[in-house]
Amino acid sequence: MTAMMTVFMTINGTETEPLEVPEDLMLLEFLHEYLNLTGTRYGCGQGVCRACAVIHDGPMGARVVPACVTGVAWAHGRAFRTVEGHADRDEEGNVTAVTPVQQAFLDHFSFQCSYCTPGFVAAAQALVERLEVDPVPAEDVENVVLEALNENICRCTGYVRYLEATRDVILATPGLTIGDGRAEGS
Amino acid sequence: MNHLSRRGFLKGGATAVVVSVTPLHQALARLQTERQTQPPGWRENGNVRFRQDGIPKVTGDKVFAVDIRAKDMPDWPDGQAHAFLIRVPRADRIFEGVTLDPLGEEMRPDTVVTAETLRNDGVEMVEPDFYGAFFLEEGNVPAYLGQPVALLVYHDYARFRAARTRFKFNEDALIWGDAAEPPARTPYGATRYVRIGGETREAEDRFSPLRNGTIFAGFENGEADWPDADSEGDVGGKAMALAGELRSELENPPEGWNVYRRKYRSQYVDPAALEPDNGNAWYDTATGRLHVVTGTQSPWINADHIERMVSASRFDLTELRFSPGYTVGYGQKEHHVHPYYVAMAALYGDGRPVRLALDRWEQFQSALKRHPFDTDITLAVDRETGEFRSLAADQRADGGGVMNFSPSVGQVSATALQSIYYLPKSDLAVQVDASRAPTAGSMRGYGTLQSMVAMELMVDEVAEDLGRDPIELRRINAFRSGNKNTQGAIPGGHLRAVEMLEAAAADPIWTERAERKKAFEAENPGYHYGVGFSCVQKDYGTGAEAALVQLELSPDGHLHMRHVASEIGCGATTSQMLVTEAHLGKPADSVDFAVTDWPSLSLEANNEPYTMSQDTQDSLAENPRWVPRITSPRSASNSAYYFTHATTEAARLLFELGLWKAALSFWREGIGGGQAGPLYVRREEAEWRDGHLVAGGLNPLPLEDLARRAHERGYITGVTVHTFNRWAWARAEFEVEGERFEAPIDALSVRWGEGADSGKRAAMTDGGYAFQPRQRVEYPPTQRNNAAVTYYAPCATLVELSVNPGSGEVKVLNHRSWLECGRQIVPELVSGQIQGGIAMGIGHALYEEMPPYEDGPGNGTWNFSRYRLPRAEDVAVWAQSATVLEPLSPTDPPKGIAEVVMIPVVAAIGNAVHHAIGHRFDRTPITPERIKEVTG
Repeated sequence: MTAMMTVFMTINGTETEPLEVPEDLMLLEFLHEYLNLTGTRYGCGQGVCRACAVIHDGPMGARVVPACVTGVAWAHGRAFRTVEGHADRDEEGNVTAVTPVQQAFLDHFSFQCSYCTPGFVAAAQALVERLEVDPVPAEDVENVVLEALNENICRCTGYVRYLEATRDVILATPGLTIGDGRAEGS
Repeated sequence: MNHLSRRGFLKGGATAVVVSVTPLHQALARLQTERQTQPPGWRENGNVRFRQDGIPKVTGDKVFAVDIRAKDMPDWPDGQAHAFLIRVPRADRIFEGVTLDPLGEEMRPDTVVTAETLRNDGVEMVEPDFYGAFFLEEGNVPAYLGQPVALLVYHDYARFRAARTRFKFNEDALIWGDAAEPPARTPYGATRYVRIGGETREAEDRFSPLRNGTIFAGFENGEADWPDADSEGDVGGKAMALAGELRSELENPPEGWNVYRRKYRSQYVDPAALEPDNGNAWYDTATGRLHVVTGTQSPWINADHIERMVSASRFDLTELRFSPGYTVGYGQKEHHVHPYYVAMAALYGDGRPVRLALDRWEQFQSALKRHPFDTDITLAVDRETGEFRSLAADQRADGGGVMNFSPSVGQVSATALQSIYYLPKSDLAVQVDASRAPTAGSMRGYGTLQSMVAMELMVDEVAEDLGRDPIELRRINAFRSGNKNTQGAIPGGHLRAVEMLEAAAADPIWTERAERKKAFEAENPGYHYGVGFSCVQKDYGTGAEAALVQLELSPDGHLHMRHVASEIGCGATTSQMLVTEAHLGKPADSVDFAVTDWPSLSLEANNEPYTMSQDTQDSLAENPRWVPRITSPRSASNSAYYFTHATTEAARLLFELGLWKAALSFWREGIGGGQAGPLYVRREEAEWRDGHLVAGGLNPLPLEDLARRAHERGYITGVTVHTFNRWAWARAEFEVEGERFEAPIDALSVRWGEGADSGKRAAMTDGGYAFQPRQRVEYPPTQRNNAAVTYYAPCATLVELSVNPGSGEVKVLNHRSWLECGRQIVPELVSGQIQGGIAMGIGHALYEEMPPYEDGPGNGTWNFSRYRLPRAEDVAVWAQSATVLEPLSPTDPPKGIAEVVMIPVVAAIGNAVHHAIGHRFDRTPITPERIKEVTG
């Protein structure tokens, strides 16, 4: 049997209780089996499909990590955002407001089965937050979006509506692009 | 197209077991509302703003079965047990048992289940010929790679994951004996369709499957043993005699014919549904209640089989609850075996809920695959006119280790081979073999992808040889409305492939292809540019489509729907809510989906719609509660047409039998017949505007007033309908409240409003509804099974691509498609289906492939790291476009299109690669390695 270790981390702004878990446990398993946060999906278990993508809020800002190959030993003490933590919720946990990325995915009918949706939410949200500090020329947005979301596999949709939704959010959000009259200070 | 023998569903049987199928979202009463309602802000200007299921999906709610843990279920104990299956990664030795010694004491399972355990407990797979037995018995050679041999159950997660990891990628749990061959297996089926048309397209056929019959073969030494040719003999003899003449003519063609013979090969593919097969189930040993949560496209069949399985065992079963989650499958979860393993595992949970969820390696190793096909086509063409004269084809598919739907996938492949073309005569034969590969089943396309891609590659080559434009050759030979297909059946409605051919022929991608090639290759030295085209028409439906829908209005006008539809991603739960609007003025306010418990319309079925004789059907149909099938499995292509028909008929009858009476009661109030007295009011002139019923200048009436009045006066306020389609709709006559009418349904019950008199109240004995026995019924004749297909949706795709001859990489630069889908219910959903289907087609054309046997997924080492799925960068995501043809009329029914959209892009890529590098590939995928073999 694998040795055990005690871990805690900050998930969606809340620090977990210290939990004793196998030391080779992956973050995805921790979310699923120890916290019952199952919105982050298992797809391949090898970091290839990004259905398990979550946001790591670290010193570099929001960065996407594949939870299925991210060990709890590394995750210990760090802060993550899962798909359950993006929308605003009331005290009972009911959604009261979704993020612009989530709203764009709804408006564009971006997903079908939605199994991969949490990973796309994470990747698109992380991109938006990256562009807040490092905007790109408007004419580059499609390439930037393609590059940022290309790791995420979707079997249903053909990607078009995910990427169009993300592009539209970026172009409609002041400060994320330069050269389009919307950049900060312009 | 399956040939299963099924008994009637539980409610009609003698069992005392209470069975209910409750969608997961309802079972999760603690987490979500009891039933689905219109989301806030869902509608704007008459359109939906997002999917009905959108908000929970985009915020990470538990919507899939895979999301569920014991603590999520309201009545379950919290302690979650976990289980995994041990499978054989080889089939070349005698299996002599399982050893758990490598696990040591710490990882030893709490329960081990083997074939012996199940034998002792009387737990058997229902329909083992179709699904396979649960476990391989000791002393036998595995029949196929990935065959299960044992289930290990753990009461905690930590030991479970440690043990599963210990046995991953090795054979340490398996005890092997001597080397041996896998058992010889009889092929799953061989079928032949022979048609000899008359003098003209319109003339009566000399022989066809529809007129005369489909031919089935026996087997000798693994090969099809067809009937002996005998022009004076029975149907089989005549068919073989005519087939022999046809083949002989192709060997010695008349003057003026060119005869082409080509062979094509398609690959073994994993559908790659991102939600792996999974489930969680609790067998309450104290009460005998079993609750199964799983992902499935066949909830009705699953519930039926689980009840039969457990009832026949030593385990008491007093109640079965079956809760399918939202899921996804592309066929991978249609009649798949996994739900039965989930239910079986629960029996060995020692009272704990047991979760059996495959990881991706296990999913590759065991879940349903797409059949690889070898297709041999001989096509005769008139040199002068370019008209196709005769077609012969022999197909052979690998069905893998268990039969599943393999025979019918082969049949559908053969009957689709003609693509969009009219063939005056044809002989199409197909054989599907058993093998040691993991099982193949009902993947998107259902065999048509393989045959139509082959035909579409061939037609391009023929056009080149004849010196004709490929699209023009297609136009010359395209199927016209009223023509007969290769089964001799006339498809329903107007076929519009020619419109697409004309649009594509005029598109700049096509007309400027030479200039574009020159320009691209000048700008990108070393790269080759190509344009390719393909057009197909795909059937939708199974030939035994059955549905149940209940619509009920409350006194305040709340419209509630119960429906057999379940959500597999394509948006059926969104579209079906909207379908009521045409007849009832608004979408359903609330819905129960995936319903299989129908107390309001209790029916009986022998569930042998494909195999029963006409006499049997005629005899059984005398029972007004009998229907050929209760409901059919869920596929992305059957909801738009078949479910919409059922929902529409329920809405129409609720209006005509109930609300219209209520409206007249308002309009005729007062002396002289009220405001309607001076007018002549026709029901067919009525329509809904802004939630009000309007007709003939009478005062608009809000639905709420009509519902209240209908309840007050005891008019009909609820209906449940059953529909059946065997390539035509069953229709029946009913007499309700003295009014006799015909409708394209085969069973009906009604509910009268709160003011109903005592007689009506007494009649409402079926779950609050009154069964209305049909007075007469007309089922499509059983012979119509031989039509095989009568509903088609066409799709055409143009592709621009580049080929790097050095790396062998093919890059799709752009694609443009045309689709005809009748009336769109939600255009955004249709568009999404097109985009998604094309991406899957690109994967099939260029990337996706596995060896079927020892090096393939059955060995347990396959995952997405070595199985390339198309990504956003592969699908021309920013450049692509699609046009949906305008419907011919507002009453055009919506068509099933989720399968057809993935097909033409495959052949279009093959044809474009030829335009780029001058080589015609006869197999898919066109990988870099295969490109490099020809580019040097």
